[in-house]
Amino acid sequence: MEPLKIEIKKSELRPDVSIWHFSGELDSASVEPINKNFNKFLQGKQFYAIAEMSKVTHISSSAVGELMGCRQVLNEKGGDLVIAGLNLDIKTKLNQLGATKIFKFHNDLRTALNAYTWNVEQKSENVWLSFPPELTFVPPVRQFVSRIARQKGYGQRDSFRIETIVDEACNNAVEHGAPDKLRDIELFLKIDRTKLEIEVVNLSDPKKIDSLKAISKSILGTEEKKFERGRGLALIKMLSNDLAIDFSGKGTTVHVTKLREE
Amino acid sequence: MKNETPYIFKVKIPSHVDYIPPIRKFIAEVLQIKGFDSKFSFRSEVIVDEICYNAVMYGSQSMDATVDLVCTVYSDRAEFQINDQGGSKENVQRLKSAMEQRNEEFEKQVEYFKSNKGLGLEIVRMLSAEFDLKIGKDNVTSIRVVRKREEI
Repeated sequence: MEPLKIEIKKSELRPDVSIWHFSGELDSASVEPINKNFNKFLQGKQFYAIAEMSKVTHISSSAVGELMGCRQVLNEKGGDLVIAGLNLDIKTKLNQLGATKIFKFHNDLRTALNAYTWNVEQKSENVWLSFPPELTFVPPVRQFVSRIARQKGYGQRDSFRIETIVDEACNNAVEHGAPDKLRDIELFLKIDRTKLEIEVVNLSDPKKIDSLKAISKSILGTEEKKFERGRGLALIKMLSNDLAIDFSGKGTTVHVTKLREE
Repeated sequence: MKNETPYIFKVKIPSHVDYIPPIRKFIAEVLQIKGFDSKFSFRSEVIVDEICYNAVMYGSQSMDATVDLVCTVYSDRAEFQINDQGGSKENVQRLKSAMEQRNEEFEKQVEYFKSNKGLGLEIVRMLSAEFDLKIGKDNVTSIRVVRKREEI
């Protein structure tokens, strides 16, 4: 039987988060040391903690109950207690006890810290992709973006609309791009909990640039004339919350903002 | 190898496991579009998953770290190059040790990788024709993997 050890440290990567390193067995005798350490922790005025449990070999129901109590106190103060690194056997047992409905579990410490940055700090994350200007590559690109949205918690409806926006923007970039296909198409994503910003940049075909400008003016409402082409941009405008097109320089930049609805 | 213009795909993602499934699926789909069969595409997906996971878990010290993947597709092969922003000394040492196990007997290798979490890299090595690791300044790590089309 391995004796229980509890060590509380500030995270080096995020000093506003405390890491509670547990090792050994969390049996009924662990309730008192958990409580003692928790009271000491509260004096530090930090209310977000990650219980790192990769070296834990057993957790009793009384220890789970004590940790639930700690979490409740932290929740009341606007913080949280999440669990990271727990092995599969113990996690399965905790699932049977219903603890997975109460605690958030993360596979490792880094993932728990990333979740803190995303959920609590609500920081945005950036992705950049460059691909050859060919229509055959548009389906994997649009699905790549849609999968990112799903992975980051966006609903099916939102991700499908995002996929449609990316499809239209990338198809336009390929179709109206420079005919020599020397420069790849660039896609920038900025995603946070509330919105996704998409930017598609391509080198424009000089022969098409004037008609593109006219179509975009019509769609963006600065000119009344209607065009046969440009349905893709109109669709993007309908599905998004903001659409801006920039023709400065040799390239075209389509910037779309889509707010999370679900 | 033929002198041809390859298709190049470059991706920069935050160092976060959430981005690994979309990126590996993207590469698998691109390879199928370029005429590689589903077995090649799936095995490449495994390679991308492993090298991305290593870069995220062991090659990133700051919370703002990013991971760069370049996939170059030729008619007879696909090349993957992944760069991270530098891991801790311990993780880089583990990576080096995992690479050094190449010369050991198979049973010893399996034993080592199972006990040291280096199994991912061993899988990558098994599935690829070339596999190189470079550790630069500040422990910045670069892994290059070449996978050749089997039916040619």
